[in-house]
Amino acid sequence: MERGESSEQNTKTNTRSSLAMTIEEETENSKGNNGDTSSRRPMNEQDQFMPIANVIRIMRRLLPPHAKIADDAKETIQQCVSEYISFITAEANDRCRREQRKTITAEDVLWAMSKLGFDNYMQPLTLYLNRYRQYESERTSVRGEPFVKRTVDYAQGSSFPVPSPAYAPVLPHGPGPGHGHPQGLFNPAAMVNEFYRNAQRGLPGGSSSNVHGLPSFDPYGQFK
Amino acid sequence: MRQPGTYSGILSGGVSGKTGPHSLPLARIKKIMKKSSDEVKMISGEAPIVFSKACELFIEELTRRSWMMTMKGKRRTLHKEDVASAVVATDVFDFLVNLVSECAKPEDSSPIKERV
Repeated sequence: MERGESSEQNTKTNTRSSLAMTIEEETENSKGNNGDTSSRRPMNEQDQFMPIANVIRIMRRLLPPHAKIADDAKETIQQCVSEYISFITAEANDRCRREQRKTITAEDVLWAMSKLGFDNYMQPLTLYLNRYRQYESERTSVRGEPFVKRTVDYAQGSSFPVPSPAYAPVLPHGPGPGHGHPQGLFNPAAMVNEFYRNAQRGLPGGSSSNVHGLPSFDPYGQFK
Repeated sequence: MRQPGTYSGILSGGVSGKTGPHSLPLARIKKIMKKSSDEVKMISGEAPIVFSKACELFIEELTRRSWMMTMKGKRRTLHKEDVASAVVATDVFDFLVNLVSECAKPEDSSPIKERV
């Protein structure tokens, strides 16, 4: 997973590979970028687009089984996606420049999408981003702390209620499709950790707005 | 370790071994973002992730609308003309108008007319 603020090295590499007409696609190869067939071509046109196989897969998932897709339609949509990314990025970038910030953040992207009319994407995207952030924080946090131990750490007198499982979303806890990992996305223990941390900060226990124990993230804070 | 469908359980997100749980390659997204303008300097790690999901939604919406055009023409093959019609008919897709009309066939006046 690419982390980070697009380090200097990365920036230079990307610029080189996209502008230099004569340099072979060493960078693409070394990044192991999907092993696209076009890895040998300089100034690879396909680099400007999402891989067509991915695009087709998403389309087919949506269309009825009997539907056929003409090749020119596939290519057109492929091009439209790139145009979409550029369109949104330009708007997000403008905002960063106006506010004298150097890094385009996820919030900038969301803001730009909303501004340019893609309001109906906001909810699923915000949800997706929140899940991702939670997943990342769990992935990098200390694992394996049992529920009981946390109770002892944060107990502030006997009156502090122990949250019932009702505070965590109900999810299969054992191995299940897509949840093979024991410390899966919705690890109740980790969510309880968040819950306790919120409580420590003085938020009303149990009726906190962060019902699901997510770190506070107001997706619409910038839209107000 | 592979994490199938980790946070794409709620929202569909395909799994690709090389791109992790995201359906679209993050490096490619980042590349396209950088190309959008010379002034794009730095991109946070999360921005391409938002885009990977957004592009899925975008493709779905464009496909859905295009398919409506196909059905209108009583056909079962989604053609480029259908995409063009969908773009023209949708306000948010105004930014695509030039793109879809670029390679339009010169004598094509009615996009949804099936050519015999």
